[in-house]
Amino acid sequence: MSFEMWAEKYRPKHLHDMVNQKEIVERLKSFAKSKNVPHCIFAGPPGTGKTTAALCLARDLYGDGYREHLMELNASDERGIDVVRETVKTFARSRSIGAIPFKIMILDEADNMTSDAQQALRRTMERYTETCRFIMCANYSGKIIEPIQSRCAPFRFTFLPKEEHDDYVKHIAECENVKLLADGAEAIFEVCGGDLRKAINTLQAAASVNKPVDSKLVYSITGRASPADVQKMLDTAMKGDFLGARTQLRDMIQKYGVAGSDIIRQIHTEIFKAAEIPEPWKIRLAGIVGEIDYRLVEGSDEEVQLSALLAKLVEAGNDLKK
Amino acid sequence: MKFLYAAWTVKHKPRSIPGIVGNAEAIKTFSDWVKSWSKGVPKKRAAFLYGPPGIGKTVTVEALANDLHVEFVEKNASDYRTEEAINRFAGLASQYGSLFGGKRIILLDELDGLTGNADKGGVKAITEIVKTARCPVVLIANSAYDPRFTNLRTYCLLIEFKKPPTGEVAKHLKRIGEREEIQIDEDALKFIAQRSGGDVRSAVNDLQALAQGKQRLTYEDVSWLGYRDRQDSIFNVLRMIIYGRTCAGAKQAVNMADVDIDMLFEWVYENVPAHLTDPHDLAQAMDALSMADVYRGRIRSTQDWSFTRYVIDYMTAGVAMARQNSKVQGWVPFKFPSRIQMLSRSKAERAMQLSIGFKIKRKCHISAARASKEVLPYLKIIFRNDAAMAAGLAKWLDLDAEMVEYLVGSKEKAEAIGALLS
Repeated sequence: MSFEMWAEKYRPKHLHDMVNQKEIVERLKSFAKSKNVPHCIFAGPPGTGKTTAALCLARDLYGDGYREHLMELNASDERGIDVVRETVKTFARSRSIGAIPFKIMILDEADNMTSDAQQALRRTMERYTETCRFIMCANYSGKIIEPIQSRCAPFRFTFLPKEEHDDYVKHIAECENVKLLADGAEAIFEVCGGDLRKAINTLQAAASVNKPVDSKLVYSITGRASPADVQKMLDTAMKGDFLGARTQLRDMIQKYGVAGSDIIRQIHTEIFKAAEIPEPWKIRLAGIVGEIDYRLVEGSDEEVQLSALLAKLVEAGNDLKK
Repeated sequence: MKFLYAAWTVKHKPRSIPGIVGNAEAIKTFSDWVKSWSKGVPKKRAAFLYGPPGIGKTVTVEALANDLHVEFVEKNASDYRTEEAINRFAGLASQYGSLFGGKRIILLDELDGLTGNADKGGVKAITEIVKTARCPVVLIANSAYDPRFTNLRTYCLLIEFKKPPTGEVAKHLKRIGEREEIQIDEDALKFIAQRSGGDVRSAVNDLQALAQGKQRLTYEDVSWLGYRDRQDSIFNVLRMIIYGRTCAGAKQAVNMADVDIDMLFEWVYENVPAHLTDPHDLAQAMDALSMADVYRGRIRSTQDWSFTRYVIDYMTAGVAMARQNSKVQGWVPFKFPSRIQMLSRSKAERAMQLSIGFKIKRKCHISAARASKEVLPYLKIIFRNDAAMAAGLAKWLDLDAEMVEYLVGSKEKAEAIGALLS
């Protein structure tokens, strides 16, 4: 009896296993071939292969013993300046043994590093280029300070196109003997929006129910943030009940752990679907959603940002009545 | 109206002397002095009750007047200033009459409110009235030893009110809980009582903010409260922000709050919707809070704390200026930030989630913080549906029995998975 998280089990091992981000992969392959790697920024949404690409590159460079030449740090867990001063520096300055003179440091979720830590990192990167190359993975490259960006080769990862996404999910379903129905695959893509890690986790959770995976099952799994819930919250707000809508929002975030970015994406979709909103209002509301979406990136508290949006919807609902 | 409640400090105010918390000795002295008027004008024609706020000075006078069926006339600080008011008051005080034949007690409350030179004449006038009063005059202030009162003091019977002991305050809170049909845990009562530092009024306010609408109040619900600065309660601070007329006034509130900025933010965020009922005002206020939060994010990513001033601008002045059309509707209580209550209640749960997050991190190249948010919900579903897969994953992730039980949500199922593991 052996089980893993499928997202790990089916994580590509080598660059040539990677199914998407073709241009990026080609360039990384050339790095591996020439045995030279610049400092890199891998920027893009979650579940699009940033960490995977970094790990594959390391494996292709160093072979199976790649772990000895690699360090992975996660900035979300260790985001302070002390980590850069100690852990990162110690690793970066020690020489590598073997054919390749440098090691690789993967700094995951690097956009969560404080700017102090990033400033400290900038000097470390410069000083120890000989012995260490950095790969910074981030959702938003804009959150990485300019001087670091200018020292790195940028790579922009994008969401998987539907076809590649479906192929991959179906491939895993086959390997694991899961009966994945066509509308089930549709639903996974709709809910996960091309985030492959989320898609695979959804598939695995759906498989554990031990029924054929159809759209209904997928919604009930990811469910708590199903379009129906978001729609209900929108209705509540448009009818003028701000506190009611805020409570629904809070439940989604706190009880069911739905990400704010997911909620806002669905609100955006729902606004254009809603029959009761007059056409000219839809674009006005979309503008408000966009503004809050941007603040979500900059701000610190998803609930506060989203409830500001709800208040705007209450206001719009009220104006509509006039 | 959903938000119309009476303030518990009014609703549960003792109407009779035995219901008052503490200060038995002072109350006896005062009561004896009032009663002595029935045998003629006593040597001291005024009683000066003094002591810290919220411990029942005014309530004592009201309750005694009620018990003795005496008419009771009250003036407070704002009334003193005009000469006319003082003359009217002099007229009331100069009338004779037997105390129990429909006479009156005259109360001058908040004497500390007489300020500076403008009121200097006020104290002098009051002193004159006290000298010749023909019915009991009661003066109340926080301190009787203010230099302004030096002369006045000599004509008064000084009675000191002290902070009642915590136990007495707790008993009072308990009575209120019973009347409101809220079950309050003993240690929660004790905590609120202790935290109030003997200020019964603030203790009752706290109790209302924490307990109203609940059936039960536990220690967890209250324990995270800090100690209140005796100068200004959070309620006054909120009032300054939500009902502020000027930017400066609203911003000033931050200095008076005894909670940190993040906590104050939570209070404002919780209470804005109930107090800004106009949709446009509410949207404006929430927008201001959203901007305050954006600056919190900027502080976090730059570590430049000087941005704090913009957080403050938006969360105070921004909210105050949002009020354009909202009408005040009765007494709307300020509520304790429910989000914090939820968070403190789920603290243990979040610790568990994070420790599972760290287990996931070791295997899955994802931060513990994100794993606990993004992967853990799926694990829960798997653990509840497929024991074999759960057992395999528990082994792969190296989860302990407690984590398995948390994920699967029941002891029996956790044992079943445990059996598969061994």
